[in-house]
Amino acid sequence: MNVQPILQVTNLHVSYDQIEVLRGVSLSVDHGSIVTLIGANGAGKSTLLRCISGILRPKMGSITFAGAEIGERPAHLIARSGLAHVPEGRRLFAKLTVDENLRMGAFRRNDRRGIDNDREHLLEVFPRLRERFRQVSGTLSGGEQQMVAMARALMSRPRMLLLDEPSMGLSPIMVDFVFETIRKINGEGMTILLVEQNASLALQIATNAYVIENGAISLEGSGVHLMDDPRVREAYLG
Amino acid sequence: MTTAVTTLPVLHPARSLARMDMTLALRAGSVAGIVAVYAAAVGILKVFGQREVIVDHLTLGHVFLFSLAGACGAYVWTRSKASIRLRVINVVIAGIASGFFLVALIALMANVNLRWMFTALSSDLLRSLIYDRGAVGGSVLFLGAGALGAICGALLIGLPQTPRRCLVWGLSAVLIAGVFQELIQIALRFGWPITSLRTFLYVWRGLTLQGAMIAFATAFCVCWALDLGRRHLRRRRGPADIDVAIPRLRSQLASAVLLLCILVVFPLVAGSYIGQVMMLVSLFVLMGMGLNIEVGLAGLLDLGFVAFFAVGAYTMALLTADSEFALAHYTSLPSLTFWMALPLAVLAATGIGILFGLPVLGVRGDYLAVATLGLGEIVRVLVISDAAKPVLGGAQGILQVPKPTIGGIELVDPMHLFYLTLVFVLVAALIAWRLEGSRLGRAWTAIRDDEDVAQALGINLVQCKLLAYGLGAAFAGLAGAIFAAMLTSVYPHSFSLLVSINVLALLIVGGLGSLPGVIVGALLLIGLPEVLREFNEYRFLFYGVLLIVVMQWRPEGLWPSPQRKREVRTPRLG
Repeated sequence: MNVQPILQVTNLHVSYDQIEVLRGVSLSVDHGSIVTLIGANGAGKSTLLRCISGILRPKMGSITFAGAEIGERPAHLIARSGLAHVPEGRRLFAKLTVDENLRMGAFRRNDRRGIDNDREHLLEVFPRLRERFRQVSGTLSGGEQQMVAMARALMSRPRMLLLDEPSMGLSPIMVDFVFETIRKINGEGMTILLVEQNASLALQIATNAYVIENGAISLEGSGVHLMDDPRVREAYLG
Repeated sequence: MTTAVTTLPVLHPARSLARMDMTLALRAGSVAGIVAVYAAAVGILKVFGQREVIVDHLTLGHVFLFSLAGACGAYVWTRSKASIRLRVINVVIAGIASGFFLVALIALMANVNLRWMFTALSSDLLRSLIYDRGAVGGSVLFLGAGALGAICGALLIGLPQTPRRCLVWGLSAVLIAGVFQELIQIALRFGWPITSLRTFLYVWRGLTLQGAMIAFATAFCVCWALDLGRRHLRRRRGPADIDVAIPRLRSQLASAVLLLCILVVFPLVAGSYIGQVMMLVSLFVLMGMGLNIEVGLAGLLDLGFVAFFAVGAYTMALLTADSEFALAHYTSLPSLTFWMALPLAVLAATGIGILFGLPVLGVRGDYLAVATLGLGEIVRVLVISDAAKPVLGGAQGILQVPKPTIGGIELVDPMHLFYLTLVFVLVAALIAWRLEGSRLGRAWTAIRDDEDVAQALGINLVQCKLLAYGLGAAFAGLAGAIFAAMLTSVYPHSFSLLVSINVLALLIVGGLGSLPGVIVGALLLIGLPEVLREFNEYRFLFYGVLLIVVMQWRPEGLWPSPQRKREVRTPRLG
């Protein structure tokens, strides 16, 4: 275990205009772990991720990634330092093909051979994408789009992946598949911060988990531990 | 999920279907008829009527009315769901209905003087359209022609693809040979075999009936032969590649080269007036390619584009002109030549482009259009203002800008200037083409589609957007500099909002994001109205109609880029 976490968020405050969305959130993600963040709609999950990846600016607090403060860094530089964000709702380049989307993912890279190797590897992780390789991504199913979104993020060879609601709007089979893949990617050493509404599945694969309520962390612990917590059971597992 | 199957409470479906089709026919016919009456009232029909397609037989006015009826016939034929017999009847009804409106107009004109309001509604107009057959004969003619036109339209749309395409080619050939007869006759003026061809097809006033038949037959046969050849090839190659994602690069390249050859040779044979027109077209092509970088590639709508054109033109004027406003006149700067000033003009435009980009960096979508509109107007107002008059010459502009020289020879002939511009266009096209496929081009595509995701992929928004504005402006600056040298003067009124709108319109008509599309758009929107001078009065009416038609039937543009075609034509699922 590495002593220092790869991502450390401390006392983060974010507000849209006058409304405070995050009120002093702190969390840390260790190297090679899966950390999940669960919470209800509007609790501030996506806001946190958008803030970490630099699309939103924090009002107060600090975010360190791999030992460097990134709270004030512009989004493209955060991405270049190895933090890949898979946004909510996939947000593919709908008019480009699967292949073109993947190549967009490798935008910052120049090593053609490395890119080709990575793409080949990702097509093994997501065999479905090989069949859809030249298809326009807007015409794929939701699950396939999620795979493209994750593969696109991985094409940048990130050090850490931020996944925002990967199971949203997918069929149960697809949800299982997506979680299976997340576990597989993590097994290859990728650190993952996962934001989910599907609490039971998310907690199952999590090394560590946080519950966010009204813009603040209300519970934290290991995934298994939280699954047994009566408050979590009542509010999120039903 | 369960779907509720409901049947419409209709007692006689067949009869109601027939009634529905009748309504459709009457509606289509009325639309065509109203368009015809409108065209007559505003004077378009009059102008069209003066343009002879076939001498003494057919004017553009006839063609216009006949195609209106044809269009409504074709529409009714494709939309109607009744039996063949009913469909034919409906087509005829639609045609007669379209003719009826003009008959009503004749009747109205015979009894009421409408000229106080619509000056174009003269009796000459109608007389010329009905070949001097009185009111009754004319009415019958109109109704009959309407029905005939509708039937022809329906037949044309109902034919299999090959004969239809051949017919369209043939008819277009007659139309082009007739409408552009002056140009073609000038082009056919040299040499014995060509001259005799000319006397065979044309009299001095225009196309003869026999010429029209020959033009029709030639185009028809050529189209048929091409079609046969294409089929033969396809049979040898096996089934066509259905993968739309792979652009057919080779055939695209071939068409681009062909287009280029036409651009080079055409003014040479068609005379110096065409040279001038082509000069203007190529300036707009330059601007179009610039705006294409901003709008087509990076998705940054810009309605103030003319400002960059103005900056290029004024820089050229200030640096080279032999006038009191030239910088050389009141500073120690030397008076530059065209070639020395050109890069500076481009540079100045680029600088202004980047400067423009700065305040609108965070503005997206519709707001961007409004913001850039404002910026463009600021430049125009500044140029025309009294404050800037001592420097920029105010409304009188700057005169005596020298023409460019090559090796001591001044390029005075518009044809020479055209070829010079063409060289610039080629260089610019090469740059634009390379940019499109470059890393920067891909970054622009990403920004256009999704700014947040683009950022998340490590794309520097600020840098890429400013580069788009700067490079787009550079093209416009180049066009402006040449424009100043071409006119040998610059006036503020050349840089109105309409220029920006023209450039944007030609992009949309040609196909956003497509380089050949820029050329097609410029030829159609800038070149055509110059050649058909008498239509100039209705220029913007045609623009509007053309834009609506293109948006309705070919939203991806006339010559779209493969990617754009995919965007517009693929349904979005999931």
